[in-house]
Amino acid sequence: MTFVVASFLSITDMHLTKLLIYALIVTALPFTVNGQKGVGTYLGDESAFYASTKQVNQFFRRFNSEEDEEGNRIYNDSKKYHSPRLRRKYIEILFDNETSSLDKALKEIFIKDVTDATAPIFLEFHGGEWFAEVHTRFNFYGKESAAILFMKLQEEPVGSKWVIDKVYFEPFNELFKKKSDKDGKFLHPLSHELDFMNLNKIFEKKEDVELYTSREHKPDHLSLFLLELKKGNLSFVTIKNVKFHFFQIDNWYFELSEFNRKGYNTGWLISNLAKLDGEQKESYKKFIFFEND
Amino acid sequence: MSKYKFLFIAIFALSISGQLLAQDEVSPERKQAIDSLALEKVKDLGKYISIIGNKDTPFSEANRVINRAMELFAEGAQMGVSSLNREEVKYYGAREYFERLMALNYDRVTIKWFNIQYISDLERQPDGRYVGVITIYQRFQGESDDGLKYMDTTKKDITIYVERKQTQIGGRVIGFWDVLLGDIRVTETTS
Repeated sequence: MTFVVASFLSITDMHLTKLLIYALIVTALPFTVNGQKGVGTYLGDESAFYASTKQVNQFFRRFNSEEDEEGNRIYNDSKKYHSPRLRRKYIEILFDNETSSLDKALKEIFIKDVTDATAPIFLEFHGGEWFAEVHTRFNFYGKESAAILFMKLQEEPVGSKWVIDKVYFEPFNELFKKKSDKDGKFLHPLSHELDFMNLNKIFEKKEDVELYTSREHKPDHLSLFLLELKKGNLSFVTIKNVKFHFFQIDNWYFELSEFNRKGYNTGWLISNLAKLDGEQKESYKKFIFFEND
Repeated sequence: MSKYKFLFIAIFALSISGQLLAQDEVSPERKQAIDSLALEKVKDLGKYISIIGNKDTPFSEANRVINRAMELFAEGAQMGVSSLNREEVKYYGAREYFERLMALNYDRVTIKWFNIQYISDLERQPDGRYVGVITIYQRFQGESDDGLKYMDTTKKDITIYVERKQTQIGGRVIGFWDVLLGDIRVTETTS
C-alpha cells in the first residue's frame, strides 16, 4: 500500500472526488506488489498495473471471485472462491467508471442479481452466449475498407477454437438495396406461362437484381467475404480494436471494452449494460449484427 | 543460456511430465509447474531482448542472442505492435522484430521489465496442445548523444503453447511437456 499512497500524493491535477473514489477502490482491493510478481525488477509505482484488468481471462476470474486480491488463482477449496462479498467488491471495479454513462441504479441491480447468495450467477468461459466484435481493415479492389468480424468460441471434440461467425462489410451493404415493390421491379405472376422468358430483363440491369429475390433473402456477408478473399479481390490489412458482447446472464446484456488510460479504472471493463426482457435479447443481437431491417 | 540452466529446465520439464500424462485436465499443482516453466522462458526472452537492444552488445553477439531467442518460439510467431498514436496493429516476424530492435538508432538503450506478471488459465486447443497468455510490462528508454530521449512502457501479452514432446534418455523414450512462446501482442500504455 505504501506505493499506492505515494502515487496519490504525487497526483496534483486530479479532481479530489475522483481521487477519493480511486482511494476507496484500491483500499477495498489492496493490489500490493507481493502478488502477480516475478519477471522483472521494481521500476516505480506499479499499483495501476495490478489494479488493471489485464486480460479477458482476469475479467472472468474477478467477476467470479476465482483469483485473490493479489491475482493468484483461487480454487474451490478456498473460502474466497465465489465469495459473494468479494464478488460485490470486484464487480464494482469491473465497470468503466470514467467514460461510459452507465446507470448507477441499474449497475447496482445487476451486481445484486449476480451475487445473490441463494442463486449466484457466474460467467463461464465455455458457457456460450458471448462473442467478440473485431474491427478490422481490409483492402477491397485496392481501396481500404472497414470490416467487422463477429467471432465465437466453438467447442470441438478436443478443446475449443475461435471461429468467424458473421461479417459486416459496408461495401456489401451498399451493394444490396433494400427491397420495395413500389418501384415496379418484379416478375409478374404469369411469367411461368412464358417459361420465364422475361428473366433476361432482370439480369440485364445488375444493380437491381436483388429486387427480384424472395422477401426472406438476406445477403450473407460472410460467404461473399470469403468468395472475394478467394478471388483475390480482398486482402487483410490490420486489426483496429476488439470488444465483447455478453448475453450469458439471463435477462442481462453487457459489453466489454478495453480502456488503455492512466489510473486504476483500466483494462477490460464493462462499457455498456442493459436489462433485456423476453424477445429483447434477439432484437439486441440483430442490432449488433447490423441485421435490423 | 548455460548448460546447467538448460539441464535444470529439462529436468523440471520431465518432473511435470508424469503428472500431466495421467489425465487431460490440468490440476492446480500441474498448472503451477507449467506456469513456472513458462515464466522461465519469458524471463529468458526478457534477458535476450535487453542484450539485443543494448548498444554495447557487439554485432556478432547480438546475432547469436537473436538465434537463442528464436529457439524460444514456435514456428511462425509474430509480434503485433500498436502505439498510443496508432491504434492499428503492425505485424513483424519474431526475427524481424529482434533485428529492428538491434538496429535502433539510439546511442544508449535501456530495456527493463516491471516486477509484474499475469498468467491466464490454460485452455485446450483442437490439436491437443494447451495455450495460455502471460502478460508483462516493459519500459524502453532510448537516448541519443545530442540529448534526444524517447521512453515508452508497453504491455506484452505473450502466447504460450504447452506441448507434449519426446526425448531419448539412455535408450528409453521419455515423454515430457515443453513450453514454446507464440505470438506476442505489444501495446503501448499510458503509464
